[in-house]
Amino acid sequence: MLSSELAVCLWVPLFPLRCEERRRPELVRKPTALLSPTDTRRLWQVSPTARRMGVRVGMTVSQSIGLCPSLTLCEPDPVYYDEQFARLLLALGDVSPVIEPAELGRVFVGADGLEGLYGGPGKVLRVIGRVIGERGTGNGERATLAHRPNKGKREEGRGKGAASTNRAKQRSRRTLPTSRFPLPGGGVGWAEVMRLGWGRGKFISWVAATRAKPGDAVIVSNGERRTFLASQPVAVLPVSSDTHRRMWQLGIKTLADVARLPETALVSQFGSEGGRAWQLAAGNADDPVTGQERPEPIVAAIDFPAPVADRIMLAHTLDKLIERALKHPRRIGWRVHVVRVRATLEHGASWMAGATLRDPSAHRDHIAAPLKVRLDQAPPSGAVEHLAVEFTAFARGTDELQLFARDASAAARAGRRRALHTAAHEIQTRLRRPMLSHIIEVQPWSRIPERRYALIDFEP
Amino acid sequence: MVTHTRAPLRADRLRALNVPRPIAVELDAQGFPFAVDDGDGKRTVDEIIEAWRIDDEWWREPIIRQYVEVILEGGGHVVLFEDVNAKQWYIQRP
Repeated sequence: MLSSELAVCLWVPLFPLRCEERRRPELVRKPTALLSPTDTRRLWQVSPTARRMGVRVGMTVSQSIGLCPSLTLCEPDPVYYDEQFARLLLALGDVSPVIEPAELGRVFVGADGLEGLYGGPGKVLRVIGRVIGERGTGNGERATLAHRPNKGKREEGRGKGAASTNRAKQRSRRTLPTSRFPLPGGGVGWAEVMRLGWGRGKFISWVAATRAKPGDAVIVSNGERRTFLASQPVAVLPVSSDTHRRMWQLGIKTLADVARLPETALVSQFGSEGGRAWQLAAGNADDPVTGQERPEPIVAAIDFPAPVADRIMLAHTLDKLIERALKHPRRIGWRVHVVRVRATLEHGASWMAGATLRDPSAHRDHIAAPLKVRLDQAPPSGAVEHLAVEFTAFARGTDELQLFARDASAAARAGRRRALHTAAHEIQTRLRRPMLSHIIEVQPWSRIPERRYALIDFEP
Repeated sequence: MVTHTRAPLRADRLRALNVPRPIAVELDAQGFPFAVDDGDGKRTVDEIIEAWRIDDEWWREPIIRQYVEVILEGGGHVVLFEDVNAKQWYIQRP
């Protein structure tokens, strides 16, 4: 498992709503809301324009239309949002091998060693911005590196009063122990809406990202992390809403207030959550980014000849698809840990349910049970045209299966080695020279670092 | 590191790793690096971890280097050294 102390947090607030806006650009200027995937009578996400008109998350459709008659309601398409997020993760994989997704629209990128490849933090963030702008875009479009026309128009429209406000903002920015700058953006890419934060550990990078404006980045240097954290509100702490409320009642409003208190006092008042909050507020928490090797998912899918809305029929199909996926040769010797079911609905929307099994299993009924509960509690909002089951994470088999597990592991290693050799041969044949290298020891004992190791062509 | 393939080594195909790059360094009153500029903007030194000196190969072209291992603003962990003969600073990975 790879980990990295230096972290970059990439955050796209309201990610599902942004996905809809990217798919239907006419929504950008309209008050828009997304319906909840689990209860389509209530709102899940609300655009800033709709929010200004009083529409709030959790309201019923009738309440929101009453407040804002021009509100555009969108049916949720979780499969599409998941695909878009996976595309972002794939693009980030080109920059760093350590990627830790936190939730839809928020991901941590390990930055240890990236400075050696790209330059300082600013350069690394610009590379991430460019990669996301170019490769993280869906629908095959590419973001251009043109300036932002909307922003330009806003600047033109400002008067003298705005200029003095700007000067005040610049003054206040100079006092911040951080550096911020715009990312390379494009009119259609994520770069317009994403925020990047750089810092040591996930918490600092996350707080930095929340301080960045859309399309901007904030860097918190290691030496200034405590000064930066001190001025932040307690709302940034990952604690329960009850703890937040009690902190406010006790007059603890900023992280400086938290750090000023003895750690033991917070532990006695809030338990382990208080101890964690103190460590984070004092800048002492060591929360590295942890990347995991993601196995290729095992997928079993079916296209229905006619759309199916009957839940019993869907549950039966689910059983059959799980059985089919369990028979996949790559699954042998491994138990299923994470399972997901995706459905494409008749009118273009989608439905998705996932489960992480507390006890990984290779039995159909154990795997199907949590998915069937979701199917009963929050069924698809329309008839299903396409249904797919995916096993996305695995655990080693039980004791009697360990023999197979070891075989599977050895076979996987041998397979990787074979694939590496084949790829190296192919590159050499195509380009007439090997483009792969490996590191060899030259004078590993030398006191002069550049004499210790060298690169040499990899010839399998 | 990849397993050695047993193919014969050819010295002419070796490419040096971790080659030092020249860098502009600002020193403080004690002569320790205070800020560095590699052409992409100035970055201050957050912390000095260790400093040492090497005197080597005095029998041919002497190598005299004053090394400083530092953490730069933003968390970069690098080694800086001054080639005492040439009075030039370089940056290198630790």
